[in-house]
Amino acid sequence: MSNAREFNDILDECLEQLLAGDATVEQCLERYPAYAAELEPLLQTILTAREALAIDPGEELRARARYRLRAEMDRVTVRRWWSVLNWQPRWAVAVVAVLAVLLASGSTVLAADSSMPGSPLYPVKLATENVRLALTSSDVARAELCAALANRRIAEMAYAIERGKARQVERAAERLNAHLAMMSRLSLGEGPAQPTAEEAAPSEEKTAGEVPAEKESPEKPSAAAEGPSAVAQEAPGRAAEAPAESAAGQAARERLTALLGEYAVSHPAKLRALAEDAPESARPAIERAIEASVAGYERALDELGSRSAGPQSENSRSEGKGRR
Amino acid sequence: MAVIVTGSGGYLVQDEQALVRRTQDGDKDAFAELYEAYFDRVYRYVVVRIGNRAEAEDMTQQVFVKAYKSIPSFKWKGAPFSAWLFRIAHNLVVDFHRKESRRPTVPLEESLVASEDDLQKTVERQLDVERVMQAARRLTAAQREVISLRFAGGLAIAEVARAMGRSEGAVKALQHSAIASLRRILLGGENGVER
Repeated sequence: MSNAREFNDILDECLEQLLAGDATVEQCLERYPAYAAELEPLLQTILTAREALAIDPGEELRARARYRLRAEMDRVTVRRWWSVLNWQPRWAVAVVAVLAVLLASGSTVLAADSSMPGSPLYPVKLATENVRLALTSSDVARAELCAALANRRIAEMAYAIERGKARQVERAAERLNAHLAMMSRLSLGEGPAQPTAEEAAPSEEKTAGEVPAEKESPEKPSAAAEGPSAVAQEAPGRAAEAPAESAAGQAARERLTALLGEYAVSHPAKLRALAEDAPESARPAIERAIEASVAGYERALDELGSRSAGPQSENSRSEGKGRR
Repeated sequence: MAVIVTGSGGYLVQDEQALVRRTQDGDKDAFAELYEAYFDRVYRYVVVRIGNRAEAEDMTQQVFVKAYKSIPSFKWKGAPFSAWLFRIAHNLVVDFHRKESRRPTVPLEESLVASEDDLQKTVERQLDVERVMQAARRLTAAQREVISLRFAGGLAIAEVARAMGRSEGAVKALQHSAIASLRRILLGGENGVER
C-alpha cells in the first residue's frame, strides 16, 4: 500500500469517527502521530465546513414538505392503479370490478333481500337469487330453493296487488311460474345441470312476451334419469349407491309435491282476497295474473303427479283445483 | 443487507431494506419513514449543491416524489437505498444547473440563512456558511460532489462511492484533495483550487 493510499484510509477513518462523535481531533492525532501534522489541518477544516453545512430545514419546512409529499404519493398511487388496470386484459379488469362491487356491496345485497318490485334494490334481489340457484349443486336442493323463491314471488304479488300495480303482479306471476316449472323439472331429475338466470326469474326489464318458454327435457337423458343400470355401466363402483340416491330423490319429490299442493291452495286464496280491494282498473290484469299462477301450480303438480302419484300429492292437487 | 440509519432528530429507521420492500408492496407509511430518515440530509445536499433554499425545498420534494415513483423498479444489488436516493438528487441538481446557466441565480446569503432568529448568530453563521459555500463553489465538480454527499448528505464513503459510481479508493483520494483545496481556499488562496 502506497503512503498516499494509506493516508487516505487514515483520513477517512478519522473523519468517520469525528462525524460520528466517537473521537476528537486530538484523539485521532494521538492515534496516528506520524501523520499528525498533515491530518490536523484537514480535520479542522472539515469540522468548520461541517458546522457551516449543518443547515436545518426547520420544522415548518419539514411539515410543509411532508404534507406535499403525502399528496403527491396519493396522486402517484392512483395513477399506478390506473396504469395497472390499463394494461391488464379486459376480463381481469372486469373481475376486479366485480370483486370490488361484491366486497363493497355486502350490505346492499342484504338490504336487497327484503326489497319489493319497484324498489331500486329489487334487481339486486333477483340477481342474488340467480347466483344462489347457480351455486346450488344438487337438483333436489335447487328444487327446494325454487319452492322458497315461489313463496317470495307470492309475497311480491300480494305487495303489488295491495298497491294496485297490475304490471308488477303480472311480472311476479311470470317469475312464479318459471320457478314452479323449474321446480317440477328438477324434482323429476329432468332439469338442466346449471339453470340460467332467465329460467329462474325473468329480468326486471323483460315483458311478459319475452319470458323464455319452458325448455324441453334434454334430448339425451342424464345418467340419473336413465336409472341405476345406466349409472352402473358408466361407473361400476357406484352401483350400490344408486338405489339409495334414488330413494332420497323419491322422498324429496314427495316432500316438494306436498309443499306445492299446499301452496296451490293457500297462495291463490290469499291473492284473490287481496285482489278484492285492488283498484277497479287494475283488477282484470291482477285476476289474469292470479289465474296464470294457478295454472302454473297445476302444471307443476300434474308433472309431478304423473311421475310420483302418491296419495298426498293427489289429494293436494284435487284440493287446489277444488278451491278455484 | 439490513441497514440501520439515523434520520433527522435522532429518528431511528430499522431495517431499511424492509421499509423499501414494504413501499414496493404499496405501503405509503413505509416510504414516509424513509422520507423522515433522509429528508434533512437530502435537503442539505441540495442546498449546498445549488445554493438556494427555496429552490432546494422544491427540489428535495422532487427527489422524494421521483424516488417514490421509481421505487417499484429498485433492486438491492449491493447498492444501498441511500446511494440510489442521492443519485436521483444528483441528477436533478445537474438538470437544475443546466437550466440555471440560462438565468441569473438568487444570491446565496439572501436565501440560505433567512430563518435564523438571533441576529448575532445569523451574521456569524452567514459568514461561515458563505465562506464555506463560496469555497465549495471553487472546487472541481467531483470534489464538490464528494463534499456535498459526505458532509451535507452524511453518507459513508461506501455510499458516496456507490452514488458517484466510483471505487472507494478513488473517492477517498477525491475526499482528501477536496478537503485540502477547501482549506486553501478558506485561508484565502485562490491558488488552492485543484482542477
